[in-house]
Amino acid sequence: MNMSTNGWRRLIGAAVMAGASMLSVSAALATEITVWCWAPEFNGAAMKAAAEAYAKSNPDVTLNIVDFDKGALEQKLQTQLAAGITTDLPDIVLIEDYGAQKYLQSFPGAFESLTGKVDYSKFAPYKVSLATVGDNTYSLPFDSGATGLFYRTDLLDKAGFKPADLEGITWDRFIEIAKEVEAKTGQKMIDIDINDAGVIRIMLQSAGSWYFNADGSPNIVDNAVLKAALTTYQKILQSGIYKPVSGWNDYTAAFMGGEVASVYTGVWIVGGIKGNQELSGKWGVAPIPKLDGVEGATNFSNLGGSSWYVLASSPNKDAAIDFLNKVWAGDVDFYQKILVGQGAFGTWMPAREGDAYKSADPFFSNQPVWQNFSDWVQKIPGVNYGIFTNEADQAVLAQIPAIQAGGSIEDAIKAIDAQIQQQIQ
Amino acid sequence: MSGTRLARNEQINGWLFIAPSVLLIGIFLVYPILWSLWMSFQVGKGMNFSFGGFTNIIRLTKDPIFQIALTNTLIFLVFQVPIMLTLALLLASALNDPKLKFRGFFRTAIFLPCVTSLVAYSALFRSMFSNEGVVNKTLMAMHIIDQPILWTSDPFWAKVLVISAITWRWTGYNMIFYLAALQNIDRSIYEAAKIDGVPAWARFTQITVPMLKPVILFTSVTSTIGTLQLFDEVFNITEGGPANATMTLSLYIYNLTFRFMPSFGYASTVSYVIVVGVAILSFVQFYLARERSRA
Repeated sequence: MNMSTNGWRRLIGAAVMAGASMLSVSAALATEITVWCWAPEFNGAAMKAAAEAYAKSNPDVTLNIVDFDKGALEQKLQTQLAAGITTDLPDIVLIEDYGAQKYLQSFPGAFESLTGKVDYSKFAPYKVSLATVGDNTYSLPFDSGATGLFYRTDLLDKAGFKPADLEGITWDRFIEIAKEVEAKTGQKMIDIDINDAGVIRIMLQSAGSWYFNADGSPNIVDNAVLKAALTTYQKILQSGIYKPVSGWNDYTAAFMGGEVASVYTGVWIVGGIKGNQELSGKWGVAPIPKLDGVEGATNFSNLGGSSWYVLASSPNKDAAIDFLNKVWAGDVDFYQKILVGQGAFGTWMPAREGDAYKSADPFFSNQPVWQNFSDWVQKIPGVNYGIFTNEADQAVLAQIPAIQAGGSIEDAIKAIDAQIQQQIQ
Repeated sequence: MSGTRLARNEQINGWLFIAPSVLLIGIFLVYPILWSLWMSFQVGKGMNFSFGGFTNIIRLTKDPIFQIALTNTLIFLVFQVPIMLTLALLLASALNDPKLKFRGFFRTAIFLPCVTSLVAYSALFRSMFSNEGVVNKTLMAMHIIDQPILWTSDPFWAKVLVISAITWRWTGYNMIFYLAALQNIDRSIYEAAKIDGVPAWARFTQITVPMLKPVILFTSVTSTIGTLQLFDEVFNITEGGPANATMTLSLYIYNLTFRFMPSFGYASTVSYVIVVGVAILSFVQFYLARERSRA
């Protein structure tokens, strides 16, 4: 991009913004804030609840919540930022933590820094650092992706397992339990989409490791945790304890509809699981299994989680920031509501003092699930995701069929390393 | 003297007439092509470019995904184009038979896939070929298979699925070209051949195919280009998976630009690989066709 185009763009942008702000003044406070997010039953529903909470004190501001598929949203955002066309961009956009640094670093100036406007000391520090570049923090941190093993208490009971039997287990034990469950109930323990590398990410972070070192260089070849994770995944894939599915819809349908007995994933899945009220009272949650024989391995990890970002090009950014500040960084009751309703486990610390975080949930067999997650979230090993998680995921996925067929883990790791080295230049 | 002036005036008028289209082509075609050529020598993440010389070309030679994408694209080309064109040719000559009843209906039915949207039919194929989709259920009910085929999660079957999908979508399109060309073949040639006792298959291979050669060349060039640019189907049905088994060059360009850390320069380099590929393959096809017509 040469300077003159940039200069022109800024000039036009300023003119458009000046025009827009005059409009908003003359149109007497009829502001509409557009929000892009994915997962209507989770992020969308949480945003709707936030809009309701905000409308009580600000009836003049309306929210237009646009739900996309997550992949489509990311691609649309990236296309428009790359093209430099900001007219169709929303005021607020949801970005997954894995990709945050990629957007912030590739498109400097596209997102509004909220440093000094939001009190970040009240948020979980790890979420704040994920959206920080230099001295500026750009996000209004939203949910934690703290992981749990969500299981069907009725099916596990039939196979002779009590909730305590699932606490603090290893993946090997998990496979044994799964075999037992299938023998007794005829139902598979889990379902797997082999085009999704989420489980590898869960395992890596559970032992405090990632695809990359803190300085951004690949951490593949001598990564004992990655080796253990791939070995464990190979065992799972070869054990036959799963139902193969393809695509996210089939994946969620299998456990939501009761076809499989459990799922290990982020706490945000609660929004989906609670969508099927017929199974109310038949679910429980345990920490995920842990890697065997790995130093620093824990039963706690993170999968996904995302945050809200304000576009710097937004003509309504002051309204958007005010909205985020008042509700997402100030309304304890709102956080109780989205916790119970969607399993949206916020990272705004004062919310943890609310009632919902302390009470048992009848949907989950009256287990104190939220108290548990509050404890677990403290124990998740911190890692730096870097900017190439997407690329690393693709490199891992490329080796999964070979691993599934019993191929050597050493070779797979070499191939993953070779692919990542090429992709990150 | 006046004649020269007239000629010059006519020339100026001529240029004026074509000026708008030349201008538009220049802005929307020539400029982007030259710009992308310049881009293909740039390196850097996102909007931060710098000139990288041959870095991107060297990267091509070391990039495993690029090599997989190139191989997959060639596999699709080598299997899909001949299958589709043969099918189209056979269907066209069958439907050209004046004695065939419901000709119009069959022609429409076979051409119909072609008017469906690429995304819509891809979405349908995806659901039909899902693990518990209608195709697996039918095959299992007919006892052809006893385990569902994992169409989208098995590298081999995913390729088969993509080839079937494109063949379904494009066979009718090519058939229409053959049907049109067949109208231009004089019936009396077939009559004469029949009287001389030439069997039906030989009439097809010795008369129909040679007479259609220019059209076959045209369809094979356009199909080759289409396959090299294959994107919609793999994006919507398999997303390039499993394990890059259906990754094509176009999908890889898309990933490099919009899914991964954007590297516009390298993505442009990969698109120039397609340009070069199309040029080479088209040249080879023209060359082969010319040689044969001399013999």
